[in-house]
Amino acid sequence: MASALRREQNRTTSALLIPALAVIVIFTTIPAVTTLSYAFFGWEGFQRNTFVGLENFKKLFTYPYIDQLLAALRHNTIAFVVIMTFQTSLGLLLAYAMFRVKRGLRLYRVVVFLPVIFSLVVVGYLWQALLDPYYGPVNQIIAGLGFPEFAKPWLGDTATALPSLMFINLWRWVGFPAIVFLAGLNAINTEYIEAARIDGASESQIFRKIIFPLLAPSLTIITVLTFIGAYEWFDLPFVLGGSNGSPAGATDTLALMFYRLSFGSIDSGANNVGVGSALGVLIFTLVGLGAALGSALLRRREVEQ
Amino acid sequence: MKINRFRGFVAAILAATAVVAPGASSASAATELTFWSWRTEDKAFYESQIKLFEAKNPDISVKFTPYLNTEYNAIVSTALTAGKGPDIIQMRPYGGMASLSDAGNFMPLTAADVPALKKLPAGILAGAQGYKDKKQFGLPYAVSALGVMYNPDILEKAGVRALPQTWAQLLAAFDKVKKAGFMPLGNAGGNGPALEQLHATVGPTFYGGTAFFNDVVAGKKTFTDKGYVASLKAVADLAQWMPANYQGIDYNTARGLFANEKAAFYIGGNYEIGYFRSLNPSITIGWFPAPKANAGAKRYVGTWADGAYAINAKTANKAAALKFLNFLGTKEFGQALVDEIAFIPTAPYVKINDPAVKEINRWRTTLGTPFLNVVGFRFENPTSSSILQPGFQKLIVGGTTPAQLAKDVQTAVSSWYGPQKGKS
Repeated sequence: MASALRREQNRTTSALLIPALAVIVIFTTIPAVTTLSYAFFGWEGFQRNTFVGLENFKKLFTYPYIDQLLAALRHNTIAFVVIMTFQTSLGLLLAYAMFRVKRGLRLYRVVVFLPVIFSLVVVGYLWQALLDPYYGPVNQIIAGLGFPEFAKPWLGDTATALPSLMFINLWRWVGFPAIVFLAGLNAINTEYIEAARIDGASESQIFRKIIFPLLAPSLTIITVLTFIGAYEWFDLPFVLGGSNGSPAGATDTLALMFYRLSFGSIDSGANNVGVGSALGVLIFTLVGLGAALGSALLRRREVEQ
Repeated sequence: MKINRFRGFVAAILAATAVVAPGASSASAATELTFWSWRTEDKAFYESQIKLFEAKNPDISVKFTPYLNTEYNAIVSTALTAGKGPDIIQMRPYGGMASLSDAGNFMPLTAADVPALKKLPAGILAGAQGYKDKKQFGLPYAVSALGVMYNPDILEKAGVRALPQTWAQLLAAFDKVKKAGFMPLGNAGGNGPALEQLHATVGPTFYGGTAFFNDVVAGKKTFTDKGYVASLKAVADLAQWMPANYQGIDYNTARGLFANEKAAFYIGGNYEIGYFRSLNPSITIGWFPAPKANAGAKRYVGTWADGAYAINAKTANKAAALKFLNFLGTKEFGQALVDEIAFIPTAPYVKINDPAVKEINRWRTTLGTPFLNVVGFRFENPTSSSILQPGFQKLIVGGTTPAQLAKDVQTAVSSWYGPQKGKS
């Protein structure tokens, strides 16, 4: 009796999963496998040519692509470390503040999450205007406060371009970990916290010993998503630096390089779909392995309530 | 009762719109052509020309859509591959769209279909031919020329009496302008292609113009040649005359500085003149060819067939597209090109009244030299431009040296260009 019901439930569950699985297979799995196959052929523009084996991968690791690849990889890694450190910590801080605040929670939630829902093009254009070296308010305020030497061309200087992008990314996305952590905080059983308070634990002890360990599932999600986002970072660098990672490739990322290789750009009219696909395979492997590994490691420290 | 009244009200509205709607839809019986370009600056011009065309051809309507210059190539390639390309395509010259033309995306044009082709010289026609397949794929519409644009009012205020003829005189003029409280140069470093055009303007006199071009194309000289390195250094030397924080100033802001009469000089192509005038209709613009490196050198005007109009090989409206293309090849259109956006049209018998463009065309015919990177080395990857554009951005902030940049260009070109293979 019970197993027949269980079988019926399983059938219904499977049937309901089919549409979602179909979407994933059509839009993710099939393109990924196709790209993998593209990487093994030579290409004439967008026409497939002969089978060339690992030639495209070899090309990717030699001049001129290897230099761009290493630079892009470096930028992505810096982005991951910086974003993980600052964006996630700031998100956690904001979430904890919202968790403890007595009044105005709804307002704070909206204000913190608002940049996340802005269109990315709007964010890019807005910050480009704000950071304009001549007419932008940021530089005018800095100069007005008495520090004209700090009124730099933020997006044009190779040293400050990537940090500026990471700052804009933080401004835009910090609401996301904040909301996820807030949900995680609200899910914590308040009895633990009250019991700790009665026992005389300080706020910082409560946070370190009770709240933070119980936030581990949220932290896993955020870390894995940040990892994937950092190594597939395309939108903001593209909007602010173009497909070449202006200035002088300082904002080049793996995804930008993939776009440039596959579709061409103003200075390199010819595109190379084969090498682009090889890069796509590389990115996929890197992100897939990293995410799977990270996820497995982080899940171990999740504590059951 | 209230619901019934509401339903009645809605039905009345729908009935009213149903009466009005058919009148609007009868206009869509026309053939619609789509026309893509990278010249966002010329949108108003093309739309007014299209109105003239549509007046004479009421059954054809043309929709003009320009895209951001730096992303145009990628946008067009993806659209053409997906089979959703436009009917009329503005085509990049020489190798800029080689892979697209060789893949059969553009309809080959014959002199029978497009009579305007018969009147163009071979060098101009070459700008719109395929790379491996030498068919004629586009109708070149303009020739571009590089030089030094200046604001005569600022120069007068700064006390610059004579136009610079040598490099040293140019730098002296910059100095005078700066001391008078104006910005010498509007050019900045935020846009790679603009820096490449700056080099193509001031460089030829250092590297030896057409003779060097022919030698490099034939493999007799390389990019590490002393003259070429000196031409790269000239660009680095200009950095001190650029506006403050020039690394972060983008293309439009740089051009805006000249157009709004804050900078005295702007070095680049004649196609900027139309844009300057659209920003500031009251500006007077003067032009002179790039100065010679020293007393013994020659002056040059970098020039090339810049852009052509092509027809999508898969277009559903071949006859209409050819009609429009032929319209673009007429003398009247060529006249409008020069009168309204200061282009130098390829169409013959066009009268150039604009004093700046007259000057440009005069010098171009006597001092013309090919724009090295565009004409010779855009056919395969890595193009010389793909090294130079970010390379110049690094050069002007001291991130690389002229000698190193020259070496990088040579490595890049020799990796695919036959006559240069194995040379360093």
